[in-house]
Amino acid sequence: MYISLNWLKEFIKIPAKISAEIIATELTQHTVEVEAFVNQAERFDKVVVGKVLEVNPHSNADRLRLTVVDVQSEKLNIVCGAPNVAVGQLVPVALSGAVLPDGTEIKATEIRGEQSNGMLCAEDELGLGQNHEGIMVLSVGTKVGMPFAKYLKTADVILEVDNKSLSNRPDLLCHYGLARELSVIFDIDLKPYDKFLNKFDLSISKDKSLSVKVEDQKLCPRYQALKIENIVVKESPAWLKERLIAAQQRPVNNIVDLTNYIMLEIGQPMHAFDADKVKKITVRPARVNEIIETLDGQERTLNTDDLVIAVDKEAVAIAGIMGGQESGVSSETTSIVLEAANFQAASVRRTSQRLGLRSESSLRFEKSLDPALTEIAIRRFLTLLKKLCPEFKIGGNLIDIKGAENEVLVIDLDLFWLEKKIGQPIPRDEVINILKKLGFTVTEVTTKKDSIDILSVTVPSWRATKDVNIKEDLAEEILRFYGYDNVVSRLPLEILRTPESNQRLILERKIKNILSLRASLMETYNYSFVGVDQLTKLHVDFSHYLKVVNPLSEIHTHLRQSLIPGLVANIKSNQAKADSLAFFEIGSVFFDSAGNLPKETGGEESLPYQEKRLAFVLADENDNLLGRLKGVVNMLLQSLLGFNTEVEFIEVDNIPGWATAGISAKIITMGHDIGLVTMVSPAATAAVNLKKPIALAEINFDLLFDLVLAQPNLKFSGVLKYPPLTRDLAIVVSEEILYNKVRKAIKDFDALIKSVELFDVYSGDKLESGKKSLAWHLVYQSEDKTLTSNEVDNLQNKLLEYLAENLGAKLRDF
Amino acid sequence: MKNKLSQLRDEFLRQLTEVKDEITLRELELKYLSRKGELGVLLRSLKDLSVDSRQAAGTMANEIKQELQDKFQEALKLFSARQTKNIPIDVTLPGAKMAFGHLHPITLIQNELEDLFTSLGFMILDGPELESDYYNFTALNVPASHPARDMQDTFYIDKKNKDGEYDLLLRTQTSPMQIRAMQKYGAPLKLIVPGRCFRNEATDARHEHTFYQMEGLVVAKDINFANLKSFLEIVGQKLFGPATKLRMRPKFFPFVEPGNNGEYTCFLCQGKGCRVCKNTGWLEIVGAGLVHPSVLEAGGLDPEVYSGLAFGFGLTRLAMLKYGINDVRFFQSGDLKFLEQF
Repeated sequence: MYISLNWLKEFIKIPAKISAEIIATELTQHTVEVEAFVNQAERFDKVVVGKVLEVNPHSNADRLRLTVVDVQSEKLNIVCGAPNVAVGQLVPVALSGAVLPDGTEIKATEIRGEQSNGMLCAEDELGLGQNHEGIMVLSVGTKVGMPFAKYLKTADVILEVDNKSLSNRPDLLCHYGLARELSVIFDIDLKPYDKFLNKFDLSISKDKSLSVKVEDQKLCPRYQALKIENIVVKESPAWLKERLIAAQQRPVNNIVDLTNYIMLEIGQPMHAFDADKVKKITVRPARVNEIIETLDGQERTLNTDDLVIAVDKEAVAIAGIMGGQESGVSSETTSIVLEAANFQAASVRRTSQRLGLRSESSLRFEKSLDPALTEIAIRRFLTLLKKLCPEFKIGGNLIDIKGAENEVLVIDLDLFWLEKKIGQPIPRDEVINILKKLGFTVTEVTTKKDSIDILSVTVPSWRATKDVNIKEDLAEEILRFYGYDNVVSRLPLEILRTPESNQRLILERKIKNILSLRASLMETYNYSFVGVDQLTKLHVDFSHYLKVVNPLSEIHTHLRQSLIPGLVANIKSNQAKADSLAFFEIGSVFFDSAGNLPKETGGEESLPYQEKRLAFVLADENDNLLGRLKGVVNMLLQSLLGFNTEVEFIEVDNIPGWATAGISAKIITMGHDIGLVTMVSPAATAAVNLKKPIALAEINFDLLFDLVLAQPNLKFSGVLKYPPLTRDLAIVVSEEILYNKVRKAIKDFDALIKSVELFDVYSGDKLESGKKSLAWHLVYQSEDKTLTSNEVDNLQNKLLEYLAENLGAKLRDF
Repeated sequence: MKNKLSQLRDEFLRQLTEVKDEITLRELELKYLSRKGELGVLLRSLKDLSVDSRQAAGTMANEIKQELQDKFQEALKLFSARQTKNIPIDVTLPGAKMAFGHLHPITLIQNELEDLFTSLGFMILDGPELESDYYNFTALNVPASHPARDMQDTFYIDKKNKDGEYDLLLRTQTSPMQIRAMQKYGAPLKLIVPGRCFRNEATDARHEHTFYQMEGLVVAKDINFANLKSFLEIVGQKLFGPATKLRMRPKFFPFVEPGNNGEYTCFLCQGKGCRVCKNTGWLEIVGAGLVHPSVLEAGGLDPEVYSGLAFGFGLTRLAMLKYGINDVRFFQSGDLKFLEQF
């Protein structure tokens, strides 16, 4: 929103020492964000008054002329297309380097082979109106070379206010509202708006030709209409146009301009219909697929959620948003129906949103306007119309259809409560002064006694629509003008206590550190969304995936149920950048089943089940990728669960689409299945176009957390006194016999076998087909004596016999 | 004895000619010249001789000892010189390459802030990313018709409740945890909630539909605005240095009243004005306020007894400012050229 400083000055007297910059800063600190302030003269920088000395035909274009224009400092050759250009005219000339209000930058250029060093401007090109009939001709006697801004007498400063910071303040989308705030900030007087309203008797006419019916009072709490006759539609006078231009509103004609003027001044949108076309007005919901052509020339299809203004049977305006083409004011109009209404905020917002149609009017209605404004707006319109069309006549009684009056809101404000809330006392007089200047009525109920000091505060109608309801709202009003800087900061006094530490987050951080600092993986954050194409390529059945109603793109339509698709995508997007890649992520996955958090306070329904996962991937061409990945799993789990924690990988059949059958394994630790290790399947590798083999692991973080939590405290188990004896053992077994089984057989064979570690697996030429060799380091150690070589050799021989008997194992014969 | 001595001398000199490197030379030294070496043993045996022969042999022994030591030193120099001369070492060679991992920049910022708040006695909570509209909006005093609830701003899940409405969404803020925490822990309460949030907003260099926030909540009897201001100052000084100043201005959030924006002195220009702070000298970082009574009520607390303060800021934005990241899309890009820099 653009605010004219000159306009504000009609309502408040700003002391000379307060600059525009101070106003912008103070408004930002106390009320709304002012994004910029611009001296209006800057908008016409490098636009000067010039005199046309010559007009010659253009050799290559019939409709263009070559002019010579005197701008005092020099005489310029300028190509001009305006039909009205003539010798002797005084015209606005945009010199090379000027930037016009629409952003066009003027440069010296060639037009159809003729040099042109500037531009002679039409009104619309300068943002001064809609006239594009020809160049703007200035009054005779204007000094040649004078800056155009000076000619216009524009000495205004425009403040650019951020609309977003006004979301809760319907009263501030206008000059008078901001003037009121400034009157509090600088403690200056605000002229009562009554002073700007003339008296009109609006209930004397006998003319009953206009009728209004409101079908849904909820959606239209107030509708006022007044017929005005004997007007002449024409261009607005300079003062009116100047104001609109300052607020970046294009002048159209005097009637439309005046409705806009009032909207910009007090925030009430108005609409003027051509009275010849509008007799019976109905405010009603639109019919299904009802079509209206709005003022912007577009056809809009409505539905029953939309509110329209209808004349006879036909919709002529979308209530609170935009008027229609047909019924608007034209140059032939001689009498109008002036509408000032109040529409329900939510309804206006919904319709405007659905149609993608936002207007200055909808912007204001969707913030809940004060219903009391409509009549003030009409009176102000008539007051100013007196200047524009002195001959006008009121053509009928003011029609006023309204629901029940809003209840007057009174809030008790206890000053001791206020002191407690802010943390320090605020002088009573200052509280009262701030509230009164903002338009609140303050009655002093009690004076200091028994530690109660209550003010009874009546909320003015323009703040009562949604903004101010409770005493906390009043505290904000007082605080923002008292000044945040004047509050002395102080930490709360409290009893020291150790906060409950969040073990889950501590574990999460620990895992991140282990994986990045110890396993040298790179942490990545992927989106919670996945897409159909991505899942299809990975052979995932996504029929049970939760879907987003309104996804931003096709690659983000579903909620992930695994971290793997994201990590595979990370490999894919980086595969050309490095030979070896290693990523991990910790994040949530989402399921279409009931979880354990309630949807509502005390409700029985719960949120969908959400689980935290931990996953990592390795990708490179080196051998034993899966082995290295399992090594990371092992190291991680032993770091978290204890140094000698057993981690087993057990074959699994039920695997996700991207996994490779035959090499996928469950991760088992402390008797729990906590995740999966596998390689990306050849089919998925081809579909995704992956250039490197990928090994991956995914672990249920929540399960892991439970295991970590159940772990007893770490205990030192002592170091055995008697020396260990080490033996290597290479045995040959059938390929079907898995590592886990052999290891368990060896480990469980005798308590003296303290450690069983595989160091080589071989199958190939040197062995019978269908056989493999497993080579182990075995450590024998006793808790109560020194073992002799003999004892160990005997034991190992027995072990070998046992393995031969149970697993068909043979000692490998090199 | 004299024979033994000259034999030893000859043997030493013969072996010296066979020495090829410093290691074998040192072995030779150990064998003959060290305290327990052969020469040493002979010298110690001198004491068993008669006085006369001891004197003569002693003189000879000392001469031989001197000679052998000189020859040894000579050879040692030769080999040391040869070693450095023949196999030159480039001292500028790099160390062996070691792989190392990286934490995501959001993790780094989050850890830093979690540690600050833990030291101030705050509890850290995280909550569900898929939330209900009740906890994300209704309980936080966001009315049914509020623009934030629009499909344009919020991702809804395609699963209707029994009234035929979409009531599940991806949380747009970490604030739902204010309510869940009050319901679970009651008061007094001091907590922060870091986490992933979502907004239905097209992505470009400055906008992301997935971002990270941190929320703070303090509830107790008699929490006031001066307390809020104090916490915000601490946060600012921790983030941007001890000289950082706080500037507050009004800002509307439905779940606080009064509601504020907090700006800090721009740490890049020390408040002088630069491109990043748009020449204002201030960086808008934090949204804050005193907890709205309806929010306390939704959390099961009596607003006449308890009061609270709340604040929130974007971890994404802080990471961008701190590390000078100019495109918000990097965070979820998984680009190793980005990630390896942290």
